[in-house]
Parts: sequence; C-alpha cells; structure tokens
Amino acid sequence: MTWTRRKFGGFAGASLVAALGARAARSQTKAQIVVIGGGIGGATVAKYLAISDAKLEVTLVEPKQRYTTCFFSNLYLAGVRSLETLTHDYQTLAQAYGVKVIHDAAAAIDPVARTVTLAGGGKLAYDRAVVAPGIAFKYSAIEGYDEAATQIIPHAWNAGPQTQLLRRQLEDMDDGGMFVIVAPPNPFRCPPGPYERASLVAYYFKQFKPRAKILILDAKDTFFEQDLFEDGWNRHYPGMIEWLPGQFTGGIKSVDVKTRAIRTAGSTFNASVANIIPAQMAGELAQRAGLVDQTGWCPIDPMTFESKLQPGIHVIGDATSAGDMPKSAFVANSQAKACAFAIVAATTGAEQSTPHLFNTCFTLLAPNDAVSDAINLEPQAGSIKITDIFFSQVGESDEARRQAARQADGWYAAFTHDVFG
Amino acid sequence: MTMSRSIFLAIAIGLVILIADQGMAAENERAAQLAAMCASCHRLDGRDKGIPSIVGMDKPTFAEAMAAFKSGARSSSIMHAVALQLSDAEIATLAEYLAARRKESKRQ
Repeated sequence: MTWTRRKFGGFAGASLVAALGARAARSQTKAQIVVIGGGIGGATVAKYLAISDAKLEVTLVEPKQRYTTCFFSNLYLAGVRSLETLTHDYQTLAQAYGVKVIHDAAAAIDPVARTVTLAGGGKLAYDRAVVAPGIAFKYSAIEGYDEAATQIIPHAWNAGPQTQLLRRQLEDMDDGGMFVIVAPPNPFRCPPGPYERASLVAYYFKQFKPRAKILILDAKDTFFEQDLFEDGWNRHYPGMIEWLPGQFTGGIKSVDVKTRAIRTAGSTFNASVANIIPAQMAGELAQRAGLVDQTGWCPIDPMTFESKLQPGIHVIGDATSAGDMPKSAFVANSQAKACAFAIVAATTGAEQSTPHLFNTCFTLLAPNDAVSDAINLEPQAGSIKITDIFFSQVGESDEARRQAARQADGWYAAFTHDVFG
Repeated sequence: MTMSRSIFLAIAIGLVILIADQGMAAENERAAQLAAMCASCHRLDGRDKGIPSIVGMDKPTFAEAMAAFKSGARSSSIMHAVALQLSDAEIATLAEYLAARRKESKRQ
C-alpha cells in the first residue's frame, strides 16, 4: 500500500511537472545542432531550427561575415542592381533567433565522436549536424582551367569577387568584342543560370556595346526552358547571341588562359571576355566528410535529408543528390525546412509529416520580361519525384511578363527575408 | 478512499494538461510548418512588395482563393502548383493560422 501510494504519487507528480513545465524541463537538455555552411540552405535550416518549439541549441559555422546571393547576380552583370542589394548578413539570425554564429571554416567532421573540428582549432559537439556545403568545381574537366585561372577567366558561379571581376571585364570590353560563356554539363547549380546570364549581358551590350556578340559553348545538347530563351533572344537581342551545343562542337577541350582561346574538338574560339562555368560536384567538405557517392553528390533520405552514408549528418542544398530536385536556392530553402522539421520531430518524438517539397524559379530574359516555372515534388520509393510541373509559355503578353518581373523583385525581397531576416 | 481519489484526480488533471498542451503545441507547430512553405515567397510580417500579402487575410477569402488557384479559375502557375500540394484540411489549417496573424507580428 505504501509502496503503491508512493509510486502513484510519484507518477502523478511527474506528469504534472511534465505538463506545467514541459518547456522548462526540456530546455535543461537542449539538443545540440551544428549547421555547417551559411548559404541559403544552411541559413534557412539554422533559422527554422532556432524558432521551432523544440528549444534546440543551434550553431551555424560559416567563414564569411556576409553572403552574396548567386541568384539575381546576373542583374548585377547587366548593370541593373548593385551587389550590395544582393548581400546579406547573419545578425538577425544571431540576435533575433539566438543562433550561435561562428565565423570559421569546418575542417573535419567526426561522425563517430559526433564532433566538428574548426579550422581555427575549436571543436563543437553535436547531436545532429547539417551540412550545406554548396558546390565545388571539377577543374580537371577543361585542360588549362584551374583555380588560378579563375582570376583571369572567372567562373562567377559563386557570387562576390568573381562576379565583380566578370563585370569589370565586360565594362572594359570593346564594342564589337566577343563574350564567350562555357556552359557546364548536368547536373549543375541553377539550370537556367548560364542562359539568363547571356540574356542579361546582352541587355547591357544592347545599350552600351551594340556590335558585341555572345557565344555560348555548351557541354549539353539542350538546355532548360530553351524555347523560352530562344524566343526571348530573338525578340530582345536579334543576332547577338549564338548557342552551340556539345554535339556541334564535339565538346570543350582546353583553354589558353592568357589569350582567352577556347578550343573545342573541331575549332578554336578567341574570346574578348570569357566566362567558364565548370562541371560541378558537392562542396569540398562533403567530399572530405565521406558524404558523397560515386556521382560526386550526397545521397540523402528523401523524408529527413539525413545522409545515406553518415547517420546523424543531414545534407541539404546544391550538394545533394535528391532525385528530380534541381539545384536552386528555392530548393535549398525547401529542403532546409523539411530537414529542420524532421530534426524537430526526431528530437521531440513528434510524428513527422511528409514534407512539402517545391521549387519555383523566376528567370529574366530582360529586366522587364520574366518567366517562371513551378514544380511540386514528393518523396517516392527512396527518392524524390516530380508530381506537377508548370512553365511560362512562349507568346505570353508583354504585360504578363512585366508582372512576372515585378513579382520576381518582390519574391527576392521576401525570400531573402525568409532566409536571413 | 479520499486519498486514492485525489491521487487519481491529480493524475487525470496532469494527463489532460499534458495532452492539451502537447496537442495545441503540436497543432500550432504543424500550422507554422505549413506557413513556412508560404514564407518562401510571402512575408509573414505582411511587408510584401510585388507579391500579394497573405497575413491577416480572413479565412473564407483565403480558402476561396486557394480553391480558385487549385481549379485553375484563378490563373497563376506558381499558386496552382502550391494549391495542388495542399489538402483541404491543410488549407483550412493555414487559413486559421494566417487569419490569426497580424501584420508586423513579432515572430518571423
């Protein structure tokens, strides 16, 4: 009887404590989440983990103080937007949401001890890590193009100094010069990006260097939204942009960096200004941490974005091999939310819902002519499959395209607020 | 007898509070997670430019708009795709959540 009463009383007391002080009790054993990489995926996941009710201790490791978005940086190349308007910092994440931001690089991850070693020497313990390393370039694919060469022929596929270098070169180019873009094989960051770049540089040339030409040497035989781009090029910049598919050139073989001579299987093209966007793979940390498979990308569980290779480590963003999901900022943001909610569910023991995965991209053919696509995706049979896909159509009214351009502007503001604000 | 009844009552109250607290928290968390999808394009503080603001919208207006996007009666490929992803129950949850929010609210 005494034993029973004590046991009952203890149980009743415990459930009251649990009910009345659930949050306080939980906060005493905060799970440690370390997010590595402060791009769109990393910043989004850090924010959504920090604002969840799960009371997690969230640390974001990112070497840079500020992040410049790759998306919309073609508008900077066009002279329409400043780089400053595309640059964001981590102060709101730290001050409003309590994310502990460490400006250092992650040198190594020990998946057994569950620690992250920082380049500066510190060590962080984690219950779960989220790695958002972005992309790395396969420099060996084009002979003569290596990391040093990017200081003369920029890739400009990470926004910042590379984009500024390319803009300066375009400004210095003579009217009548030829700008060559080397477009990468699939899969790569931002499928419409190289072609939007051609469009918006053409917009700049049309005003200031009307005799200039743009040549796209593509590794591929087709490209994303090709009909929309070709229609836009014919309407806005007739005769200015030429696109040569891989099957025509036989592929891009080598480059003489000093003379900007780009050699394909059959010809040599002499560029006034060149932009080589190399073939890509998951960011360097993912390679070092054993998160990539033979494809060069990171396989993940489609429900949780936990690595299929290293339990306890989640991977999000461009570095993932995520079925039909394209490598876009929007996808990184969508994945980051799904990943954050999965971590919250795992930490609190709540049931995890099937994530809503979505992508939309606004693409500018000219500053007042935007097209968009919208893609629904869902986890299916261990991967992620497209369930619905919608594109803008050739022949839409000028007003519809102008409205899409205004929406694109509004989207940029709202989206970067969602990530950094 | 009195003792065991009061113990029973304490357990019952404890469990009811526990379940109610967790139930409300879980429902709110679920709604916030759905709204997070909206937040990729619409600001949840209502300070949108160029994109329609959705916070503080009354429930029937929101539900009708989503139904129109889903059927295609209102044209927008992006919102058509979003509406196709959401069940009627999810749209109702979102309508409730967004209607209850004020512009310039603290969270987010």
